[in-house]
Amino acid sequence: MRVSCWRSLPTCGLQSTLFQLRDLKAVGKKFVHVMYPKKSSALLRDWDLWGPLVLCVSLALMLQGGSADSKEDGGPQFAEVFVIIWFGAVVITLNSKLLGGTISFFQSLCVLGYCVLPLTVAMLVCRLVLLAGSGTVSFIIRLIVVIAMFAWSTLASTAFLADSQPPHRKALVVYPIFLFYFVISWMILTFTPQ
Amino acid sequence: MLRQGSSDDIEDVSLFDADDEVSRRSKKSKIRHPVASFFHLFFRVSAIVVYLLCELLTSSFIACMVTIILLLSCDFWAVKNVTGRLMVGLRWWNQVDDDGRSHWKFESRKVSAQGHKTSSESESRIFWLGLITCPIIWVIFAFSALFSFKVKWLAVVMMGVVLQGANLYGYIRCKVGSRKNLTSMATSYLGKQFLRQTMAKEDQTAS
Repeated sequence: MRVSCWRSLPTCGLQSTLFQLRDLKAVGKKFVHVMYPKKSSALLRDWDLWGPLVLCVSLALMLQGGSADSKEDGGPQFAEVFVIIWFGAVVITLNSKLLGGTISFFQSLCVLGYCVLPLTVAMLVCRLVLLAGSGTVSFIIRLIVVIAMFAWSTLASTAFLADSQPPHRKALVVYPIFLFYFVISWMILTFTPQ
Repeated sequence: MLRQGSSDDIEDVSLFDADDEVSRRSKKSKIRHPVASFFHLFFRVSAIVVYLLCELLTSSFIACMVTIILLLSCDFWAVKNVTGRLMVGLRWWNQVDDDGRSHWKFESRKVSAQGHKTSSESESRIFWLGLITCPIIWVIFAFSALFSFKVKWLAVVMMGVVLQGANLYGYIRCKVGSRKNLTSMATSYLGKQFLRQTMAKEDQTAS
């Protein structure tokens, strides 16, 4: 989120808008990097938390129950998902830092947040499948999709985060990430609209 | 002749100074970036207003929470990237080196000799007023949510405290500089105030 102009309003305003487009492009590039996880440093160098925020909010919105008429319209569930994702990401980051990782706090949050993208896609697919029906076939389809996306998320984030650790500690770092995405996948798989 | 000339010169110089002072005073009280000032306050105040009135506006907790989150994010982005730079000439950001280490940079714009690049006082006042009062209000909300056991609002309130507190901390560090500590800053500020008051009193007694 770098800003590099000091001048008066007219030129700076134009640069601010251009800068915003560049920001959006950076977010889009990171989404692409997550879907094709190569060992590139773009996700790590220019970290930002906009993508994780958007993903978290959309995932939490999709995980709502269907009863929109009642007063208890899935309110606590929204806050729960939000807190689970952010608190979980903070705990994993603290864990990797305590194990002697070289990655910084916000970079790690950025990677973990962006790697929720496959699971958000899985949630979307699950909701669409549930619109068609909720029998055994739909459950098997959802199970396969969720397992595939969970594996994708874990592998993508491990590709970025495990490199920053000393070799004999990689498993200690990967295991909490595995748990984190497992909890989110569990929430997605056990979602049933009312 | 020479004396007349010199007195003319002196008169010319004093008139010139008076004009300059008047124009400088009007420049300092004028708001140079009205749009930035408006948006600096708009996002923060509307987030607080939505939080207070959410029970009345809509029965959906989710709509309120998403609205407040969006307003807080827009406010964070606007204050960090736009209004601080335009209104008071301060900026802070994070930079990651090639070898992966991250540094936090805090900068303040140097005042040029001409003086037309200094920020106006009213803008500066608006900026710091908005920057300081809103995190305090969110901390009050945090305590009220804790003690009235409205735990579902705690997530939103913590986000407000963190985001607005981060901007406050960043800009205070820009202003103070990373070496000076707060006590030396406070004593120099008090010393300046004291000096200003004694000078004002002397001017009053002289005129």
